[in-house]
Amino acid sequence: MISNIVLTTGLLLILIGLWGVLTHRNILRIIIGFSLFGTGTHIVIVAIGYVTNGTAPILDRTLSLSEASSRVVDPIPSALVVTAIVIGMAVTAIMLAYTIRLYDSKKTLSIDALMESKW
Amino acid sequence: MIRSLFTIFAIVLLGVVFATIAVSYSEQQSLRPLAESYVQLVPRDLGAANVVTGILLTYRAFDTLGEVAVLFMVAASAGLILGTRQRRPEERGEPAQEAARPSSEIVQTGSQILAPLISIFAAYIIMNGHLSAGGGFQGGAVIASCVLLILLTYPEHRINVEFLSITESLAGALFVLTGIVGLIAAGGFLDSHILPLGQFGAFFSAGAIPILSALLGVKVGCELSVILDRFRPQP
Amino acid sequence: MTELVGSILILAGAVFHFSAGLGMLRMPDAYARMQAGTKATTLGNTLLLAGLAFYHPGWSLKLLIIAYFVLTTNPVSSHALARAAHSIGIPMFGGSGIDTLRDRDQKLRSET
Repeated sequence: MISNIVLTTGLLLILIGLWGVLTHRNILRIIIGFSLFGTGTHIVIVAIGYVTNGTAPILDRTLSLSEASSRVVDPIPSALVVTAIVIGMAVTAIMLAYTIRLYDSKKTLSIDALMESKW
Repeated sequence: MIRSLFTIFAIVLLGVVFATIAVSYSEQQSLRPLAESYVQLVPRDLGAANVVTGILLTYRAFDTLGEVAVLFMVAASAGLILGTRQRRPEERGEPAQEAARPSSEIVQTGSQILAPLISIFAAYIIMNGHLSAGGGFQGGAVIASCVLLILLTYPEHRINVEFLSITESLAGALFVLTGIVGLIAAGGFLDSHILPLGQFGAFFSAGAIPILSALLGVKVGCELSVILDRFRPQP
Repeated sequence: MTELVGSILILAGAVFHFSAGLGMLRMPDAYARMQAGTKATTLGNTLLLAGLAFYHPGWSLKLLIIAYFVLTTNPVSSHALARAAHSIGIPMFGGSGIDTLRDRDQKLRSET
């Protein structure tokens, strides 16, 4: 039940991000759309790892070693998402750097100014 | 017109696929075999209480090394893309900027209260990577946010980019060196058994994982700070 | 009984958060939107944390520290954003037209 709700939220965010990328003309809004897309994907990956009535995979005084494997959620999607978040942020930084250079050369933030290589 | 039709068609098609996934998904009832073996192995074999950090820094350590390389590439690319701009706005064809108004007293006081607290919090997250939720990447990002706060509050402040670059490269090189020591002294590249496992849950435990966490945190923090400095307007 | 009080506080916090979102959609200009976003969300956060303290009394000190952080950072960041918006010249919405920051800047510039 919980993972179904979180999964639906993540998939909705992916759709909204994709709509934002395809529709807007302002480069900064396209970048925000990409960021939404990435966040939605991370939420989907984490939601797939949920085990019913599970808790965080951290062993402390409330979770002993013997009952660990029956009460924790899947740790592998969380580990993958940690890497993915950092790389998503790095790609956003490069996109913003490109935006600054494009604004320097075209003096406008609209993507319609960059259509000369359209096929 | 055609573009908006194509957009609507793509969104609707993807929406149908996603709806099929969301409706027919059933929650896992028990851990899959690989996850169960990781949950059993990490506390016994590595001595780390945080299973996710144990996976990230030992069993999946190549992914972490690749991410370190990606971050370094991004810092270099940001320097390449933004470093060759004309220095002053007049040469770029923009009107000359008047001197930036200094930040107000409220912001300065707020940042003086917050910057030490954020730094302590970042150090706490890095050091507790193997005991509780935390780790190198998370702590490094918080360090970078502290640097961003200082950059926003004192716009004329110069940060020492050479020192940060040297620190970041040293941290990355030490990370790889620790991995090579693992090749010589323990099971393989980036194996964390080169240091004794210690008592479970103590601060100095889990082999080389605290050291790798600390090196990662320093590297990510310096890298993000250098990237942030590139985005500032050059005076 | 304590759970009822906690639930009412959390509900009040959620209502304030909703009103913040509604205000951000409906306010006429950027400054009013920032005001709606800051005041209502800060109060909503504080009420939410207070309601949570009724559910878990052992966490009270940690929740108090979190509330202190929210109260320190949210108004300061909104203040910085509003000053930045004013300095790049975002127009105010009609109305009274009293702009003390612009008057003070003009006075400072004419003095130096």
